[in-house]
Amino acid sequence: MREPRNPFRLLASERITYSSTFLRLFAPGALDILKDEQAFSGVKIFRSSSGGGKTSIFRMFSPSSLLTLHELRATEDHKDLYHRLSGLDVFSEDGPKVLGVYLSCTRNYASLDDLHFNRGYSDRLLFSLLNSRIIIATLREALIMKKLKYPDDLSKLQIHHPKEIDIPTTIPTECNGIKLHNWASNIEKRISNLIDSFAEHEGNSFGSQDALYSLFLLRPECISINGEPISNQILIMLDDIHKLTQIQREKVLDQLINLRLPTGIWLSERLESLPLEQLVISGATQIRDYDEIKIEEFWRPNGSSKRFENTLTNIADRRVTLNPDFATISFSDSLYNSLDGIEWNNIFLKACKIVSNRIRKKVDHTKLYQKWISNCENLKGTPRERATQWRVLEILIDRDLKKGQQRLLDIPIPVLEFEEKNMSQVKIASELFLSLEFHIPYYFGFSALAKLSSSNIEQFLELASGLFEEAMAAKLLHKSFVLYSTRQENILKKSAKRRWDNIPKHISNGSDVKSLLNFISQFCQLETYQRNAPYAPGVTGIAISMNDREKLINSNTKQNPDYERLKIALSSCISNNLLEASIDKRQGKKGGQKWMILYLNRILCLNFGLPLQYGGFRHRTLNELCNYLDPNYKISKKYENLIIYD
Amino acid sequence: MRWQNYFHRSGESVNIFWKKYLQANEKNVLFVLGLGFDPRVCFGFEAFLKAEGKGTRDIMIINLEEGHTSPSKKYSELIMNNKKTIENLSPKDSETINKKVPMWSNDKRRIGSRNAANIFKKTLPEYDDIIIDISAMPKGIYFPLIGKVLYLIDSKKAKGDLLRTPNLHIVVSENAQLDARINDEGIDEDASYMHGFTGYLESETSDNLPKVWIPILGEKQQPQLERIHNLISPNEICPILPMPSSDPRRGDNLTIEYQDLLFDRLNIELRNIIYASEQNPFQVYRQIHQTIQHYQKALKTLGGCQTVVSTMSSKLLSIGALLAVYELKNKGDVGIAHVETQGYKIEGNINIKEEYSKSKLNTLFIAGDCYDQ
Repeated sequence: MREPRNPFRLLASERITYSSTFLRLFAPGALDILKDEQAFSGVKIFRSSSGGGKTSIFRMFSPSSLLTLHELRATEDHKDLYHRLSGLDVFSEDGPKVLGVYLSCTRNYASLDDLHFNRGYSDRLLFSLLNSRIIIATLREALIMKKLKYPDDLSKLQIHHPKEIDIPTTIPTECNGIKLHNWASNIEKRISNLIDSFAEHEGNSFGSQDALYSLFLLRPECISINGEPISNQILIMLDDIHKLTQIQREKVLDQLINLRLPTGIWLSERLESLPLEQLVISGATQIRDYDEIKIEEFWRPNGSSKRFENTLTNIADRRVTLNPDFATISFSDSLYNSLDGIEWNNIFLKACKIVSNRIRKKVDHTKLYQKWISNCENLKGTPRERATQWRVLEILIDRDLKKGQQRLLDIPIPVLEFEEKNMSQVKIASELFLSLEFHIPYYFGFSALAKLSSSNIEQFLELASGLFEEAMAAKLLHKSFVLYSTRQENILKKSAKRRWDNIPKHISNGSDVKSLLNFISQFCQLETYQRNAPYAPGVTGIAISMNDREKLINSNTKQNPDYERLKIALSSCISNNLLEASIDKRQGKKGGQKWMILYLNRILCLNFGLPLQYGGFRHRTLNELCNYLDPNYKISKKYENLIIYD
Repeated sequence: MRWQNYFHRSGESVNIFWKKYLQANEKNVLFVLGLGFDPRVCFGFEAFLKAEGKGTRDIMIINLEEGHTSPSKKYSELIMNNKKTIENLSPKDSETINKKVPMWSNDKRRIGSRNAANIFKKTLPEYDDIIIDISAMPKGIYFPLIGKVLYLIDSKKAKGDLLRTPNLHIVVSENAQLDARINDEGIDEDASYMHGFTGYLESETSDNLPKVWIPILGEKQQPQLERIHNLISPNEICPILPMPSSDPRRGDNLTIEYQDLLFDRLNIELRNIIYASEQNPFQVYRQIHQTIQHYQKALKTLGGCQTVVSTMSSKLLSIGALLAVYELKNKGDVGIAHVETQGYKIEGNINIKEEYSKSKLNTLFIAGDCYDQ
């Protein structure tokens, strides 16, 4: 296989053909999502938007991946990964102890409900099809685990009846693998013909099963080779269960939970499958018989992106090594992260002059801010640091002036008061305002790239691929492969614009989605770019009251078509990770009202010149959001203190 | 090869053929077309009626129910105009059959393809000829529709049914410039296999078989190609480029357009590229047929292979893919993968007369008398 020219373009884990390549690219930190002692027990549902990493985690537990990792366990590249999996008791000295059986639900299951058979028969066909495929997949993976050939070596497997459990006698047990495989394969073929054939079919044309009996066979003692159980533990992984119909999904979940199997069962589904009420379900009201693992929340606990950033560093450095020309280079090091170079001095010195003059002109009628101004004048530091402080001063003075606070005497306010107000959020707002006014890059460096990925690995790879392309071009021309801030920002902005422009084409209800996001983003811009930066570092989301959320969830097309349209557009935004939803959040002090917050995907923040930090949001009513669906709508609120530059 | 010898006419020779064919004997004909905003909806029907001749001239109009959120809704005026044109053109003594095809189930899943296949259920109506004009139908509709009609014709013959089976013709109006102005809007997140052309491609039993993908390339289809690739995860890719083409640089332009995707990301081999004439769907049919046979033979020792065809190019060429897969799907793991779209968007305004003058009519005789002799 030819080495990929741009390794960041190997996107989906499914497309990485070789286990060794897959293992090289897999970031061990992703396994922290599994709570060690309960990794293989009970039912777990992994949820994320597309590209969140669900299938990669599942693939990690396939026999071919585990076998390859066991063989490579002594190599430097794989030690960490092997060690983490050993911590989950996946390996013995002889090899993998867990037989992972992967099954995708993207296949033709949903079509069974289109055949218009009665509900009972449709369910039996579903369970029959699932049973047959689970059995086939298990037998295949069992052979792979023992380094045998599928289907040639099926005769070497022995199938035993599960103890003290009744399963239909039509399912072959106490036989070899060939008999069971042929039985399952025949069922699968017949049902596939039923689904895809142009012939008309009668219902009840052949016997079928009414439960997931195959799972009873997924016990180590039921499948053996040379008299030994095939493994210590079997893990069944059903990927993309959102592809089942709603009824099918409920029936399968119901079976999986109520059967109380000793087998570990992992399911994955995309957020898009869930109706809005489930996308933003209140944790307080939910009782579950399964563990729910929300991947984006794992990457960003309590809003911090540090965990995600660390994992991305690992992923990026692993990918870079696939290109021999960059084997010894750290990707994050190639992204220049400073504006303190001499090429920026003049711009920041000019900024200091302009901003300080503006301040003096603004407050020449009062002595109140003299000490603050002197403090800034005497600051040591790089031109960037001084310019930032001047801009912070301007924001704080604007805030003070806006308050219109009457002070008894016109005497200078102590510097201490300035320093108390000089919080990090105001500094970030200051940097943002400076970047806008003086055309200074704002979106650069690995940390910004990690934030722009919005806790989505696929989004990170897409953005990083553009930057890596540039680095490769530079190397080809024998130039330094280090990307400077301006160039990084230009490349990232192009990616963001491309994604934005493609929304109507690539997303269902794309026109409504784009209009809604456009006005939400414009609103966030207007709230952010006020002179006194009231919501520093800026507003990057909106909030809906929990009452409005209820109204929206309970709306229907006939009663309220506008709300229904908004609900569809919001669902599409959330499921495509264009809006990130958090619910039951309070703003300000304890005991305050609870909100459902919808943050813009950080790549949209790049498009609209917004900061990348989470935190700032503003309330919108449902009627206001409905207005946003009209592309000809104009935001009516008047803003008197906006920063506007030429 | 079933269509080793074939019948295909294009341009003015279509009119000559229909005149001669329909005037030779009395023929009862059913003309099937899709109602949409495309100005080519009526082009084939008008040409067909001009050929005159004796017998009934019934029309079946397929109405796609795309839902109230379809982007195509904004072209309802164009749709109404086309409907009025059909009504005005239809002979007074003809029967008009309106068939509604719901595209979405109640739980918002795609069911258009299956419903299209069910337009004709267990038997075909008794006509001498059935003509299906696919000019204004999406692939997801005309593939299963044509597949079902062929199946019913073949089943009847296989049973030795002595009653006549109708002849089947496919008509398509080609206009590359207009096609370039009609863009997909709101494509599905995931690709899927076409109903009636899935076979065992989704079976777990043959999941371990090598997969070969044959995409027929056309312009502005990158996201669709990526999504289909995600679905199939092929081991081998054999893209088909249109060559010869009315634009001699078209093949080069497509290679440049998809350079990053084909060569950097998908790592395709240059020698795998297949060339087929832009104007001849039967050449595409032969190329696909031979490629499938070649891989099935070469990979026989590995247990065989799965072959998936995707048509990202013109409707005319897609017929070649349809015929190849229809013929071979029962002999092995062969099928068609595609990405559905919510609706379409037209760039600029449409002048019907101008589009007519630029459109080229094609007719293909697919099953019936000329093959039975």
